[in-house]
Order: sequence, then structure tokens, then C-alpha cells
Amino acid sequence: MNSIITVKGLTKTYKKVDAVKGINFDVKEGEIFGFLGPNGAGKSTTINMICTMLKPTSGEIIINNYDAKKQKDEVRASIGIIFQENTLDGKLTANENLKLHCRFYNVPKNKREKRIQEVLEIVDLVDEQNQRVEEYSGGMKRRLEIARGLLHYPKVLFLDEPTVGLDPNTRAHLWEYILKLKEKEGITMFLTTHYLDEAEISDRVAIMDQGEIIAIDSPASLKDQLGGDIIELSTEDNEAALREIEDKMETVEVKVEDDTIHLKVESSDAFISSFIKTLEIPITKLNIRKPTLNDVFLAFTGRKIKE
Amino acid sequence: MEGILAIWQRDLTKFFRDRARLFGSFSMPILFLLIFGGGLSGTMETMMSGGFGEESSGFNYVEFVFPGIVAMTLLMTAIFSAMSVIEDKNYGYMKEILVSPISRVSIAVGKMLGAATVSTIQGVILFLLIPFLGLSYSIISLIQVIPFMFLLGAALSGVGLLFASMIKSTQGFQLIVQIIVMPMIFLSGALFPVSNMPGWLDVIVKLNPVTYGVDVMKKIMIDVDSLPQTVQETMGLHITVFGRTVSVFEEILFILAFAVIFVAIATISFKRAHA
Repeated sequence: MNSIITVKGLTKTYKKVDAVKGINFDVKEGEIFGFLGPNGAGKSTTINMICTMLKPTSGEIIINNYDAKKQKDEVRASIGIIFQENTLDGKLTANENLKLHCRFYNVPKNKREKRIQEVLEIVDLVDEQNQRVEEYSGGMKRRLEIARGLLHYPKVLFLDEPTVGLDPNTRAHLWEYILKLKEKEGITMFLTTHYLDEAEISDRVAIMDQGEIIAIDSPASLKDQLGGDIIELSTEDNEAALREIEDKMETVEVKVEDDTIHLKVESSDAFISSFIKTLEIPITKLNIRKPTLNDVFLAFTGRKIKE
Repeated sequence: MEGILAIWQRDLTKFFRDRARLFGSFSMPILFLLIFGGGLSGTMETMMSGGFGEESSGFNYVEFVFPGIVAMTLLMTAIFSAMSVIEDKNYGYMKEILVSPISRVSIAVGKMLGAATVSTIQGVILFLLIPFLGLSYSIISLIQVIPFMFLLGAALSGVGLLFASMIKSTQGFQLIVQIIVMPMIFLSGALFPVSNMPGWLDVIVKLNPVTYGVDVMKKIMIDVDSLPQTVQETMGLHITVFGRTVSVFEEILFILAFAVIFVAIATISFKRAHA
């Protein structure tokens, strides 16, 4: 597959702080690329540089074969951005907001109305298009912004925390729309999110921490790299249980957090039956699961994402 | 071009939807017309006839103040319209504009034309008061003055765009505008002649674009040549810079240059802005 975005040796230095320290990565055409990292990792700085909103200190960014430093207008025409915060004009109707966007992006006059109806249909807002946006709910606004981002047929759609501040139900719906979009239009998506379970839909994820990219792969192989399964349990006496586990059993890793013991084992199927037989201290809670992106994140950065 | 039109049209649409703003902005000019027109005209006219006797009969002070009040309305509306830039920044819409491929100069020109159109409309609505004030300007002169009002509105909105690019909050903007706008009105000859000012104030008068704007408007709207020389001089209708009387053509040129310089400054500020 061709790369739609290529980033080479990208750095951004503010007065004394290196916000981005020479990162390299590429995004393939048609994939969903998840871009994760704790606050202050340099994610926003990186995205702003890719979107031509911030001048890099050094390095190279190529999007859709255009240079983000020299061919700003071409790059701007090739991308759509859904910002974290609302950037709609509340005093105008949804249709008017979309019409303005068409004009900003030079969509030919005779195609505007057709495209507007087309994107409104994708996000189910056809019937509400003549209402003022200030009357919209949070979820409707988000959907309208996604529709607007698609109007000029961008090659890459940037979604910066698209579900922040939405209730779980709306969030789930929004992802349905986004996936539908990927299937129908084959647009490349560059996604940042705080909700790591949402990043699972990515084809590949990059984890950024302290200005560097520390891991980049598919969610599945990142989880495989962690190895094995995770067992979480509470017992009547965690300290005694811990001693017993460390003495008698073959685990990859043992950790205690709050009042839960976290075990990492190569295969939970083989481990669990003998484990339960062996452990003398009564178990009060037991949970066996496959690793999630949260575990990956924790393993790579030593932190949870929302610290 | 399409980008300029889009930005211009958006500001116009929003202006017509905001009725409170439409009517609220008339309170100030009407107040000034009452104070300066009703209150001061008697005094001015008595002084005139006392000083020049018969020669100044038929002198109507309100006729002189009215173009000044229209210019004042242009100034206030043009500058306050530029405040939409700050609102767009605060409500996030500026991001949508800045990440699009519109050239930065189109953004500045679109905003300037929007403010110029809105202020011209406000100014023209004031013409409705003419019959009630007992004034009579020729229809032709009123039609002639409209394009100039548009130019003046564009130039003055440039001042607003400059402040809008430097100030983050609308409250801060309103405060600065109050500090700047009032002197610009009082030191322009809009309300009273400014031909005999002390040296340092005279410098401000001559640098103030409103001075030339008001002067051109008076010269288009009032039949100046038929007035006695003494009245022309007392009302400050001959502005001199470095001892030379400036022509209407030069005044228009100055205002045009003013507009171009400020649109250039605004373009630079949009280039620097990253959402």
C-alpha cells in the first residue's frame, strides 16, 4: 500500500523545550491510524505541524505527495480536520455551514448541493439541515462536523478526540458512522483519542510519549508483544497470596495495584486450573482477560493514559 | 475570489440575523444628533449671524453636523464589525477558516468588505432621518456619497482588524475601542470645526483618517461653493497640511492608501495566526 503521509525527522523546539524530538512514521492509504499518548506527549504539536498550522523546527512532512512546509494550500485542500472543540457557526443553519465550507474549498458550484445532501445522509442529518446549529445537541454537532470534514473529498481525515464530551450512547453511534465512512469512501483516517478502547478500531496505532514515538504497530501485534494473558484477582490476604505466587508459580510478571493482584501469564488456559488448586488463600475476586490497548499503553509508558 | 465572497456573505447574513445589533447601533448617532443638532445649532447659528451678519443668513448648522454623524456611525460600525474576528477566534470558527486553502489576504479582504458593507448600510439607514431634521440634500449628492462611505468604512474597519488581531477578548476590544473611537470622532471635525487647534492636537487631527472622511462627505453632500467664504473658513472646510490646502482627490487617495496598508497588516496577522 502507498503511504499517504510520510513524516521524517520531525522536530519542534520551543524556547527550551523539545516538544517533538525527531519522529519518523508513515500512514498508509486507506487505513485508520490511531495516534495515542498521554497529555503533553507532543501529539497536538505533531498534528498541528502535519496540518500546516504550526511551522516545524526541522524535518519533512509529505501528505498526498505535497510538502506541508512549502505547498500549504495543496496540503490544506487534501485534508479534512475534525477538531476537539466545536468550530461550527451556531448562528447559521447546518446547510449554510456546509455551503460555506464548499466555497472555502472551491467545490464547483453545480456540485455543492448534491455533495451537501450526500454527506448529510451519511450522518443522518438530512431532516435537520435547516435548523440553526445552536439548537443542535452535542452529538448532532459532532456529526455535522464530520459531514463538513468530508465535503471536499479529503484524502485524509484528521479526527482529534472526536468523541470527547459525548455520552456513551452517542459515542458508540459516532463510531458506527466513522466505520461506515471507511467502508464506503475508503478515506484514510488519522485519529487521536483518550479512550483506548475506541482506538481498537485502528489498523495501526502509534504511541507517543515525551516527544518520541515509542511503539507503532497493529493493536493485535502490540498486544501480542506484551505476551500472554492477564489475570486479576483479589484474595483475603493479598500479601500472603503474593508470597505464595512468587514462590510456587511460573508467571511473566506480578504487580499489585490498589487491592488487586495483576498477573501476567503465558497462557491462562494452562495456568488457571493448577493455580486455583495450588493457592491456599481464599480468592474473593477473579478475572481473566486478554491484554487491551490500555495494558499496552501502561507497559510502554509506565502510566495510564489519563493521569 | 470565492473565498472573499464567502467570508463577506457570512458576515452580512449574521448582521441581518442580529436585530438587536441592527437597532442598538442607532442609539448613539441619534443621541448625538439631538445634542449637537438640537442643542448646539441655535448657539452656532447665533454666533455666525453675530459675527458675519447678513452674509451668513441661511446657515444651517445641522446640515454640517449630519454628514459628521453619518461618518461617526461608519467609524463605530466598521470597528465593531471587525470584532467578529475575535468572536470567530473564541467560538473556534476561525480554525475552520484558517485550515482551509483560502489565501490569507482573502480572509483579510473578506472581513474588511464585510465590515464596510455593514457600516455603509447603517449609514444609509440614517438618511431616513433627513426629512425629520428639516434638512434637504439633493438625491444625486446622497447617491454620490454612498461609494465614498463604503471606502471610508473599509479603511476604518482596518483599524478594527488591527486591534482584533492583537486583543483576545471582546471585552478588552470594547475597552480599547472606547479609548480610540471617541478621540477619533471629536478630533475629526465631525461635530465641530477643528481648524483652530493647538499644535499637538492639530497633528492628531491631520493624521486622523476620519478628518478627511468627514471633509469629503461634507463637500459631496453640502453645496459648499454657494456658501460665503467666511462661513466656509469658520466651519473648517479648508484643511491645510504643511500650509497647503488639500483637494478632495488627495483626501480620497489618503483614505484609499490607509485601507490598503491596514489590509496588508491584517493579512500578516492572519498568516501568523495558527489556530
